[in-house]
Amino acid sequence: MAEFNIQADSVDVTRIMEQIRQRIREKRGTDYTEQQIRELATVKVERFLDPRHVRSDLVEHYRQLEPPAALEPISNKRAGRAPGPAPEPVEFDSHTIYMSSRGPMGKLIRLIRKLLNPILRLFFNPDPVVLALARQGEINAWMLQILQQESDLAERVTKQFERAGAKFVAREELDALNFEVLNNLVVEMTRLSLDMKNHRMLVESVAGRLDFDERRARALESVVQRRSPVSPAVADGEVDESTSSTGSGRTRRRRRRSRRRPQTAETQGTGTDNAEAAGTVTQSEATEPVPSPGTATPPGDTAAPAVEPSPADLQQTPSPDAPDPDSAPAPASVSAGEPAPAPVPSIQGPSDVPSPAAAPATERVPPAAPKRDVGPDEQ
Amino acid sequence: MKLAVVVQRYGADLNGGAELHSRYVAEHLARHAEVEVLTTCATDYITWRNELKPGFEQVNGIPVRRFPVSRERDADDFGRRSTQVFEEPHSIAAELAWLRSEGPTSPSLIHHLRRHGDTYDYCIFFSYRYYHAYHGIRVARRRALLVPTAERDPALGLRIFGENFRGVRALMYNSYEERALINAVSNNETVPGVVVGVGSEVPARPEPQRFRQATGIEGPVLIYVGRIDENKGCRELFDYFERYASRSPGLTLVLIGNPVMPVPTHPGIRPLGYVTDREKFDAMAAADLLIMPSPYESLSMVTLEAWALGRPVLANGRCDVLCGQCIRSNAGLYYKSYEEFAETLHTIVSNSALRAALGVNGRAYFDTHYTWPVIERKYLDMLDRLDREAPGQENRPEPLPGWLGRRRRDLLPGRQVVERLPAGPAPSAGGSQYSSDS
Repeated sequence: MAEFNIQADSVDVTRIMEQIRQRIREKRGTDYTEQQIRELATVKVERFLDPRHVRSDLVEHYRQLEPPAALEPISNKRAGRAPGPAPEPVEFDSHTIYMSSRGPMGKLIRLIRKLLNPILRLFFNPDPVVLALARQGEINAWMLQILQQESDLAERVTKQFERAGAKFVAREELDALNFEVLNNLVVEMTRLSLDMKNHRMLVESVAGRLDFDERRARALESVVQRRSPVSPAVADGEVDESTSSTGSGRTRRRRRRSRRRPQTAETQGTGTDNAEAAGTVTQSEATEPVPSPGTATPPGDTAAPAVEPSPADLQQTPSPDAPDPDSAPAPASVSAGEPAPAPVPSIQGPSDVPSPAAAPATERVPPAAPKRDVGPDEQ
Repeated sequence: MKLAVVVQRYGADLNGGAELHSRYVAEHLARHAEVEVLTTCATDYITWRNELKPGFEQVNGIPVRRFPVSRERDADDFGRRSTQVFEEPHSIAAELAWLRSEGPTSPSLIHHLRRHGDTYDYCIFFSYRYYHAYHGIRVARRRALLVPTAERDPALGLRIFGENFRGVRALMYNSYEERALINAVSNNETVPGVVVGVGSEVPARPEPQRFRQATGIEGPVLIYVGRIDENKGCRELFDYFERYASRSPGLTLVLIGNPVMPVPTHPGIRPLGYVTDREKFDAMAAADLLIMPSPYESLSMVTLEAWALGRPVLANGRCDVLCGQCIRSNAGLYYKSYEEFAETLHTIVSNSALRAALGVNGRAYFDTHYTWPVIERKYLDMLDRLDREAPGQENRPEPLPGWLGRRRRDLLPGRQVVERLPAGPAPSAGGSQYSSDS
């Protein structure tokens, strides 16, 4: 019996449906349902953008809760009907019914009553009455004791309740304060979260710009290196002040970059190929930066002078009209403590082809200004 | 061989899915066997009112024996009992009461099967969920074949039908999804079954230009054929189409069928109402694709007709059967949301090469599986197989519980049972337990 599958080479409905769903997901960004999209659309983004408007509804939620009823003071005094003093208990025994309060006559009366007692017993038996009244008197005395104890207990309980009520009142006030603190914490956390995101974005932005600048610097350096032949003077390890001035812009950039990186022995060694130059650099660290004269530092070399030239340095950079580079003082002599000339760039190009940006600066600087101020980093 | 086709309604002018299906099957099997149709006098599936005379008549050359319905359906009672068995824990007695309330209650038809069932070699019952099928299968179990026409509706979760799915001699399924559902709900994998479906009479040369000239419709056409009903997914279709047309005007949605819900007034929507078969096929041939928005279909003959005409189909992906048919045929796309509707519709309308390829696949799919020789052969093969089976191999009847057992409220709601059934298109043939005909 034939099976229900047709293998169409050109059309696969399942695959088409997968592609269609993929397209839908790409349009949506993710595979949300319509309900989820509606829910997302109703969220107000502004609430999260401005932390000042962020206020947790926790406090309102707490406040909307039914607060416990205030405690009423417990009193054993009923309004308008204060009970009077407790009556004195009456003692009753078998002789009480014969007693008399008439003094001496009372004794006679009591005697007569006792004599007539048998006659009285003809009418009724007074003993159970006497017994009941005597027992009732004992019970009354006992109840009085119990009431007294209960009264003391109630008084103590009342005092405890009053103290608990006072604690509740204090707790309610404290709760309000806690709610405020909680709300403030939520606001502050939200604000901090947003600040953190902002700072993260700023750091990323700065890092991106830094990376861009570095790549731009490398590109410019590589262009200059390709276009300019190696200057013989630089190749011999001599410093050309005019060269350094013409290439001031690039020099500054390289020095700034090199200051950010820690100078290790390895990087120093990389920057100085000969021991003399290395020693020169080492000696000049305390005074002023002296570039390695005899090497063409590759782009990104970390052995560049670690001192950033001050603005005065830049202004006093010798112009192309300065004396012949060969007559300039050697780096070794400069590092002996005298003010040094402007740092010499490690790259070679600007010595031959001054950059257009550097030319006006050299025109502003008077040619006879060999002595320069010491920058703050060099002091 | 004498066959009885037992169906709830029957007539040349009845276009319901199962009824039309049964008529097609009866007329085509009549070429190979003696066929008699046993049905009721009702034509309205809402009331089951007796509108035709009981007795014997011929319909398109097929002898038809009609039996009266003993009582019409009480809509309120039926609704109440439906809620009871679909939504609440209930008893077998409640399910039987629901079945009587649903109808068409025709004890005389069941009595005829009990008295004269032996005169038929096999009885082919259509639509598992009606009174005639349930009780008819119970009295003619040894010769009963069932064409379930089941959908994913709560009635499938009722306990009483599981016994019938297990008790018939064979099941003629419409789709792999239907078979997976019935297997899952009744554990009837041992019952012989085959995915057959139904063929369709499609004209060899429809004239799309005739449709365009008659209606004046130009540009790309999207066509829907069927009852315009919310239950058929038409409300969602109108909503999606209006949203799509607001962004991509120029597409026309042609509606063919009687509306039972208001059709929105939109310049891109053209309701044509009931049309003749010739006009319907002209319109389908003129269309760029057929849309089938119904979430509940057991087969969708219109979809097969569109494929027979070489037209791609855009189906509701929430209908497992339609989704599975599209995947198996590689002749249609499907959607489950507006975004997918818009993307799939745009893909088909804008890509003529894809449209043509889908159409070619559809035609090949129809020719391979849904032409009448193929359908007839599947029926005849199944009957031959049953003939060859040794007597006594049929399943034993499962008696109903006793009086108290039938009233024990320990059955889960039908909807809950159906929701637990496996969903989605059935795995393609060859790769699953449903791949081969058992």
